[in-house]
Amino acid sequence: MSVDPGELLQRISATLKADIGPEVGNEFAKTQTFMASVVLDKVSKQLTLGPAHAAAELADTSSLVEALGPVLKDASGPVATALTTLRAEQTVAALGPLVEALYAAPSEQRQAALEQIRPVLRRDIDRRMEIAQ
Amino acid sequence: MTEQLEGQLAELLGERLEATGPVAIENMDRISVGWSHETWLFDAKWNGADGEQELGLCLRRDPGNALLRETSDLDEQFQVLKCLEATDVPAPKAYWLEPDALGGPSLIMDRVPGECPSPWRRSGREFYAAAADRGVLPESFTDSLAAIHTADWRGVGLDFLGVPEEGTAFSLGEIAKWKKLILDSAHPGHPILADLIGWLEANAPVTNQLTLVHGAFRTGNVLIEDDRVSAVLDWELQVIGDPMYDVAYMLTELNREGTDLLSNVVPRDLFFDRYQSSTGIEIDEDKCRYFQLLYAMRSAAFWMSAAGLYADGSNTDLRLARTEWSVTVALERAATELGY
Repeated sequence: MSVDPGELLQRISATLKADIGPEVGNEFAKTQTFMASVVLDKVSKQLTLGPAHAAAELADTSSLVEALGPVLKDASGPVATALTTLRAEQTVAALGPLVEALYAAPSEQRQAALEQIRPVLRRDIDRRMEIAQ
Repeated sequence: MTEQLEGQLAELLGERLEATGPVAIENMDRISVGWSHETWLFDAKWNGADGEQELGLCLRRDPGNALLRETSDLDEQFQVLKCLEATDVPAPKAYWLEPDALGGPSLIMDRVPGECPSPWRRSGREFYAAAADRGVLPESFTDSLAAIHTADWRGVGLDFLGVPEEGTAFSLGEIAKWKKLILDSAHPGHPILADLIGWLEANAPVTNQLTLVHGAFRTGNVLIEDDRVSAVLDWELQVIGDPMYDVAYMLTELNREGTDLLSNVVPRDLFFDRYQSSTGIEIDEDKCRYFQLLYAMRSAAFWMSAAGLYADGSNTDLRLARTEWSVTVALERAATELGY
């Protein structure tokens, strides 16, 4: 019988927090022990939730690429370049250069595009918060 | 490490204190405060011209791999503390700045009496809630910020920090500072950060009045003795700038947990009344909301830089490893403040 890696890290995290940390006398070392517990907890969640989050990200960015088509049909320069990259990569990370380029674009184009982009970013940060909290 | 440092301190202080015999270093204790430098508390005992003497001291040492070391070095902190001696701002007395005698740039200052409960721990929040009920600390805390904002910064020489031009220069300068930290961190970032920075640059407010700004004035960064602030600590982010930058930090929900008390200790009405009457500065809540978004950017920059220091192996402090997920929290906050 083997333990799932995410579950294993979760158990070690709990042991550090509940059993080992309280026995550490030195303040600095105690803080480090607590932080080790916290980090292992986050990595554990990342391992467990990673596949579902990746699938959701792909679904979101695919839909966004479709939605941005008409909004940015007249885009040129850096916005057009960033949009091409987004189409190819279909990742939330690829939205960074696009958002940057939009802030140098005409305000109507920026507003219309951000209205489409921000809900995707909201869902992405919500997923990340499932791990970070 | 502790024994080596004790030996270096004994040798150094033997010269600085004009001791007639060896200096004893006792009760050496490294504490987990601050991010940018190691902090050690200790007692020095020696025989001098006036007989047996004892001094409680605090050492801050730059280990060469710490957070924010490019934005606030110990030389600047030393100069700031020296300048503050001529003001009403409660701050530790700085004694010596040592470039290399202690294994890295180091600042030795007075160990001011008082305690500094962490507002991130339940025991700390209980401490501040009880102090708020007694009523003295909320006034003292507010008065300390007022003292910072009414200090004659030019008169005491704090203009060495740099004086922003009129208009939006202060806000844009802060954005540029934290952008540089983000770029230097080599962290992949997140598109919300690009949105946040774009919005901040497009909406930078005008600064009408320049004061000394602490940059991180909250509980956890002040020492408290008998319900009064005995020293404002963490002089790492100070600038000459818009006082609303500090006021925004007082008002933000980020610096309180489970309470309406500002910074866990000051009732909002008391703060507004006492701060405005003490300083003559009117609180601009719209500008404070802008600066709260700038703090979200600054927090993200801190945490990206911190996570990078751990990721590249240059710093082994596990608090830095944890900050990878603090970036997410800062950006979630920014997304909410931006309205999505």
